[in-house]
Amino acid sequence: MKTKIALLILFISGNLFAQEQKMTDAEIATFKQDVNVVSKKIKTLSTDFVQYKHLDFLSKDIETSGKMIFKEPSLLQWQYKKPYNYSIVFKNGKILINDEGKKSAVDIGNSKIFGRINKLIVGSVSGNMFDDKEFTISYFKLKGQNLAKFVPKDATLKKYIKQIELTFDKEEATVVQVKLLESSEDYTRIVLKNKVINAKIDDSVFTN
Amino acid sequence: MQKSTIQFLLINCFLAIVLVSCGSVTKNYTPKKLDKTSYEVPYFSDSKTDYVYKTNITVYGNEISGIFIAKKINDTTHRIVFTTEFGNKLLDFEISDSSFKVNSIVSELDRKILINTLKEDFRLLLKKEYLIQEQFENDSDDIYKSKDGKRDNYLFISKKDHRLEKVVHASKTKEKFTLIFSSENNIFAEKIDIIHRNIKLKIELNYFKSE
Repeated sequence: MKTKIALLILFISGNLFAQEQKMTDAEIATFKQDVNVVSKKIKTLSTDFVQYKHLDFLSKDIETSGKMIFKEPSLLQWQYKKPYNYSIVFKNGKILINDEGKKSAVDIGNSKIFGRINKLIVGSVSGNMFDDKEFTISYFKLKGQNLAKFVPKDATLKKYIKQIELTFDKEEATVVQVKLLESSEDYTRIVLKNKVINAKIDDSVFTN
Repeated sequence: MQKSTIQFLLINCFLAIVLVSCGSVTKNYTPKKLDKTSYEVPYFSDSKTDYVYKTNITVYGNEISGIFIAKKINDTTHRIVFTTEFGNKLLDFEISDSSFKVNSIVSELDRKILINTLKEDFRLLLKKEYLIQEQFENDSDDIYKSKDGKRDNYLFISKKDHRLEKVVHASKTKEKFTLIFSSENNIFAEKIDIIHRNIKLKIELNYFKSE
């Protein structure tokens, strides 16, 4: 059943993608406000995700899945459960990795690029990344959804990510899909589902 | 007369040393009559298969992990991409027996020595056919020697189930690196280790099927 629903959503969103329509200035203002109101309320967030790595030359997307947990101000765990166990925690300027039981830590201290990545992941999932200094942003309407496209201004970041696309549920004003484009042919698409906002999450979750 | 005898002895000693070192890779193996002149490796040969592996690279004590993807894109060429678990592309190569192209590589990995090492490793990993010149055996394997420029490749085929278990890439005197394959079905390899002898580099590949 779940697969059917997922397929249906995929099919619908695929269909709608072709019908994206530019927002008016007034619509942009309302949309941004809606998202900001919701994302400001987020103290904790946990969500299941399915990641599809699309490479143009492959016959099938590479599918991995797991759970993402965020707690304010900047605790983040990204945990892959299938088809392998790999978990990465961003915590107090450190990245803690648990790769099938093999643990390692990287001190990122005040590394700008990792700070930015952290901010980007949290921003992508919470939706609050409307920073005109960092990105050139364009806004589109889809049926039941909104779409924001972010093109990095920073040259270093742009080398890794050409564009980020966030798809929002129109009613809830929360992110349902993150798409990271490396080039026109190659991208990573992350579908978020079973999102729980502001459940109690203990700090001890963010150990690896 | 005596002088030339000494010279002769010296040359002989020298030759003996060279020959002993020459034979170092195969010295424990028994020569055998050739039973084939070529060998085809099945592990990366299907153009319909996406070969996807979870990968750990250990280089001088540092660990890098990610996803290794290989795909045969035409008769001679494979495309190879290495990404992080998040999907960011770290390198993208096209490689055949005679050609090599870097489509992209992140600046942190853009070092000539690293690219050349990976090129050699991946070329051998994906190599489909080996021409055989000599054959040996030990208790468990038939060992085929295949010329590779100034170096040689030694293919270890298990006597029990006739599968390619190991390829040793060696100069005349010593091993450079070794590929170790584990394959259940002899169609693809579930686990592959690439181990270097002269630099501290080990690449482990574990096949996974995405959901």
